[in-house]
Amino acid sequence: MKASKYLKRIIRYRFIYLMLLPIAAYFLVFSYYPLALGIYNSFRKVKILGGSSFIGLENYIEITKNPLYMAALWNSLIVGIGTFLLQFFWGLLIALILNEIKNKLFRSLIQTATYIPYLLSWAVVGGLWITILSPTGLINGILRLFQGDAFRPIVFMAEPAFARGIMIFTGAWKGAGYYAALFLAAIVSIDPNIYEAAAIDGASRLKQMLKITLPSIVPTMKVVTVLAAMGVLRNFDQIFIMANSSILDQVRNLLYLIFNDGIIQFKIGLATAAATLVLLATIIISFTVRRLTRYDDTYSY
Amino acid sequence: MLKKRKAFKNELSIPQKLLAVVIIIIIFIIMVIPMWNAFVVSTSTALSATQNGIRLWWDDFSFEGYQYVYKVTKLLQPFLNSFYVTSFGVILQVVLSAFAGYVLIQKDLPLKKFITSFIMLTMMIPGDLTLISIYQMNKQMNLLNSYTGLIVNGMISGFSILLMRNYFISVPYSLAESGRIDGASELRIFAGIYLPVSKPGLATVFFMEYVSKWNSIMLPATLITDQKKFTLPLMLKAMILQDNSTSGTAFAPENAVMATIIISTIPLLFIYIFAQRYLLAGMNLGATKE
Repeated sequence: MKASKYLKRIIRYRFIYLMLLPIAAYFLVFSYYPLALGIYNSFRKVKILGGSSFIGLENYIEITKNPLYMAALWNSLIVGIGTFLLQFFWGLLIALILNEIKNKLFRSLIQTATYIPYLLSWAVVGGLWITILSPTGLINGILRLFQGDAFRPIVFMAEPAFARGIMIFTGAWKGAGYYAALFLAAIVSIDPNIYEAAAIDGASRLKQMLKITLPSIVPTMKVVTVLAAMGVLRNFDQIFIMANSSILDQVRNLLYLIFNDGIIQFKIGLATAAATLVLLATIIISFTVRRLTRYDDTYSY
Repeated sequence: MLKKRKAFKNELSIPQKLLAVVIIIIIFIIMVIPMWNAFVVSTSTALSATQNGIRLWWDDFSFEGYQYVYKVTKLLQPFLNSFYVTSFGVILQVVLSAFAGYVLIQKDLPLKKFITSFIMLTMMIPGDLTLISIYQMNKQMNLLNSYTGLIVNGMISGFSILLMRNYFISVPYSLAESGRIDGASELRIFAGIYLPVSKPGLATVFFMEYVSKWNSIMLPATLITDQKKFTLPLMLKAMILQDNSTSGTAFAPENAVMATIIISTIPLLFIYIFAQRYLLAGMNLGATKE
């Protein structure tokens, strides 16, 4: 009786299941299957000419012993966290100042200029900055103005000492407008009466900024932090476009290395083991950051 | 009343304001200069583009960079490839996200909990971390170096589904129920009631995904090796071939590279100008918890 009722409900929703069919098929084939295949291969030695054998944790052990992977983890973390911090404060600064600007045209001009880089691909952003930093580029042009005859062009993109700094700066340059837009959306939704009351009590505008604006956008700051934590080990495009052999040791990150080992050099077992570790690490990092920011307590409805 | 308001003029003091304006103008310059520089170089002669120094104004205005990418780089092909793959992929994505979003708002749908977690869990499996297997799979299915491969991989994303679901959920469910009582078919309820009122949601998915697919680098870099099938970002990557730019001799003249950058950017600028509100809506939605 109960079963037939259940069946009836299923029949009633047959059109819904029909809609679900392509989606379920897609996710099975393009999401779950690759995940399973990757984990399976990570325990195997895969030969290029077909055939593979089970080797247990050997691939995983090899990764922990491989200095390239350890360096890549380090590079990912330095560039990822550095970019996040710079982008965070840069975006916050833009949002706070934009909120003080009353002239609409000026305001939307700034907002457009800061947001557009976020829409561009890394191929474009990389190309822009490589040109500016080239020996005949803008930065060297400015240096020449100051140094006169003593000027020797600096090949910024080939200078290991600058490499990470350039990645952090260009990363933040691309993303600052995005954070600014998020912060600004949160600032605009603050109840204006709070500011008015504070002003009547004699609080200066600067004090209102620190005591009202900043605390009110803490939830947005947490969202931004959690999202950044989920992506910190997954930067690929930037390094793929901007890295070159002179600075690779400073910037080669995990996904770049996995791509290189797996797709270019066909070390399938090693690369899938590394990818599995990155997936695990990403889950652990985002879980930890969620905990640390008390994301789930303050931001649920 | 008016006087009182003036007394409480709630603004920064003059020096603070001045400082704020100076800072924002510096930021503005840092944001705009690279793009302006690209525009000027792209419309200069190759000779003036290779000269040392600050090139923020034209010495020698010329379209030879654009002519170069048209004739020598044959950029029309990658442009059309990008356009075709992105447009086709996005249309499929919009349709399928609408399907999935609609499935997820059904009340008392048998197995709904399972279906929801089946779909949402995929958001925890980012395609960039299963890349090796995706490559192997596409190889087996003969999708390497094909447009189909670029369209099919990443055809649906959990994020767009979530976005559509959130739009549909704001439509009163009683509409669907009364439709069912009147004997309307499910297809009519979906296409006749839900889709028309969810146009902003569909537009949001469309434009967000358009930007992200247009800019996609990792997937084409994995699947495509045949230069005839290159998308714009791949072509650009080949043109700015790193080690050349460090030695100063580029694969393509600098004005041609900048022309390619400008051409890759134009569709995105159009989207920003005409669909800004959808991008911002999607961005805010992406940053809020479900």
